[in-house]
Amino acid sequence: MLQEESDLSLIIAQIVQKLKGSNLYSQLERQAWASLQRPEIKLESLKEDIKEFFKISGWEKKLQNAVYSELSVFPLPSHPAAPPEHLKEPLVYMRKAQGSWEKRILKSLNSMCTELSIPLARKRPVGEQKELLNKWNEMGTDEPDLSLFRPVYAPKDFLEVLINLRNPNYENGDSLSFRTHLGLIQVPLKVKDIPELKECFVELGLNIGQLGIDDSTQVPPELFENEHVRIGQKVLAEQDSAAAQQYIRQGSPTALRAELWALILNISSQPEDVLYYEQLKTNVIQHDLLVDSLIYKDVKLTASNDDYYFVFEDYLYQVLLCFSRDTSVLSHFAYNSASPPKSYIRGKLGLEEYAVFYPPNGVIPFHGFSMYVAPLCFLYHEPSKLYQIFREMYVRFFFRLHSISSHPSGIVSLCLLFETLLQTYLPQLFYHLREIGAQPLRISFKWMVRAFSGYLATDQLLLLWDRILGYNSLEILAVLAAAVFAFRAVNLMEVTSLAAAEAVLADLSTLKVMPLLQIFLFATVT
Amino acid sequence: MSRILVPCHVKGTVALQVGDVRTSQGRPGVLVIDVTFPSVAPFELQEITFKNYYTAFLSIRVRQHTSAHTPAKWVTCLRDYCLMPDPHSEEGAQEYVSLFKHQSPSMTFPKWLSHPVPCEQPALLCEGLPDPSRVSSEVQQMWALTEMIRASHTSARIGRFDVDGCYD
Repeated sequence: MLQEESDLSLIIAQIVQKLKGSNLYSQLERQAWASLQRPEIKLESLKEDIKEFFKISGWEKKLQNAVYSELSVFPLPSHPAAPPEHLKEPLVYMRKAQGSWEKRILKSLNSMCTELSIPLARKRPVGEQKELLNKWNEMGTDEPDLSLFRPVYAPKDFLEVLINLRNPNYENGDSLSFRTHLGLIQVPLKVKDIPELKECFVELGLNIGQLGIDDSTQVPPELFENEHVRIGQKVLAEQDSAAAQQYIRQGSPTALRAELWALILNISSQPEDVLYYEQLKTNVIQHDLLVDSLIYKDVKLTASNDDYYFVFEDYLYQVLLCFSRDTSVLSHFAYNSASPPKSYIRGKLGLEEYAVFYPPNGVIPFHGFSMYVAPLCFLYHEPSKLYQIFREMYVRFFFRLHSISSHPSGIVSLCLLFETLLQTYLPQLFYHLREIGAQPLRISFKWMVRAFSGYLATDQLLLLWDRILGYNSLEILAVLAAAVFAFRAVNLMEVTSLAAAEAVLADLSTLKVMPLLQIFLFATVT
Repeated sequence: MSRILVPCHVKGTVALQVGDVRTSQGRPGVLVIDVTFPSVAPFELQEITFKNYYTAFLSIRVRQHTSAHTPAKWVTCLRDYCLMPDPHSEEGAQEYVSLFKHQSPSMTFPKWLSHPVPCEQPALLCEGLPDPSRVSSEVQQMWALTEMIRASHTSARIGRFDVDGCYD
């Protein structure tokens, strides 16, 4: 048990160190000093009295939420001998694959840059700055010529990379044998099976009330909905992140969702945060980046064409342009298998003090990236809050959907989980689709990479993202993908080509997410 | 008490395999790594650290010199310590591992246990399970009975399990 104790003290030390640099720490210090004025604080029992004060005034809860947030996001401290890259990704061959993929993306970006003779970054002339500032709230009306720009990569390019991932220590040969996987993903990652998923997603069970099922018009609200809303209000009053995360597993009432998500992600709009956002906005005004054009292009191609999201076009620019310039995002690369593209100031190659990351936040957007932001626009209308929520969602969840890693919520694991579920529980369908050249992953990949944004109706999407937050895992995306195939299995069994299979699964906007998940996990006879 | 690295010589892996390595088809599942400590003063081993590469189970045996007169003997310190919970998947495959000295009296040469030394006899059956030899003899009798019935095939119906009056 000595080992566990030392592990615990290591974790505590790590969290304390992280929180010491945060805003909360200085606020707590200030509060502690201010509390000395209060009559109930006595010198003899100073420590206990201050602790009691923190408990009553709600500051202890804020600290608890911050600790909980740290535990949810950062991986546990690893072995002292493990180098930093081991924390990013323990498997060497995956690190190598991610490195090669990044080189390719960078090459693509650089060649686009040279072809179009556009600098990676330039300072805007004063006139242009003024113009942009005036137009800040309606950047969507701008119609720059983006015809020469192409997205750096699309999800299907990324899928090809994942298909070619191989573990050099795993011999499965090229010919079909009992050792090759029948799906597209050939790496032997550990994925859950349905019994393990049932245990993991126990709150989605048949005998537990769900929003998305038990709030439909036929069900009288007294049975579940009213009580659930009441509990939600109580959770918000308590301001407890952990309780909110547990509560939201059964779905969030529409009216409470914005606040609940902010509580779970531990986002509270302080004046400093608004100031930070304004600073980023100033950076956008002053400098123009090549990735800005990529963002424009992406928004125009995806969100602007979407019936649900085109109204939020301006918000998307306001968030994504600032996101590209936010260097605080760089800290998430400590646990992301990806690394930010690094360049050196001319003549100073190799010197770390002269290294610059491009874009400043280290994230190069791909085709469909703006769809991560779009659904959030339904919940948050204040730009700095919308920005904070998106940034936190990205560094907690979305980054895993486009980087190569062995993490259980990483896209590789999700793909393998999807294929394994389909193969195990719908073997006839899987075999049939394979035979007609329609590997199921080729159809479902784009859904999972975008976390279903743009494919489901927005109310259904938000119910799905409720569960992502509630379970702190993206595995539900793979389960939903398999559930969709199970739902349309009858039609899919009759198709004879990939195009026809894609047509059957082209429109998911009428699907109800929660019943599909519940049936697939808890009501399918295996 | 400061800890220092002990110089050691790690030999190459040797496969444990029956028969000729060159001609047999199968790949050995057990490899042996010899670690020697070139003439060093007696020390107390605290920790062994290594990076795993697809080893599922680890056993460690130590050759111990107790005194000048008795010959050195091999002691098993660790048997089948699990490094990979599922050997067919990637969990634990490339992890960094530390094995510690655990609750053992200090000795001049490494004899420490991370896990208690397992007994060499087979594990005792847990309580509540019937004696296997009795069960097998009973099963044999039942099997003989079914064979008899099958052999003496009649056309008589077995009939319902009719307790008087229950179907009225």
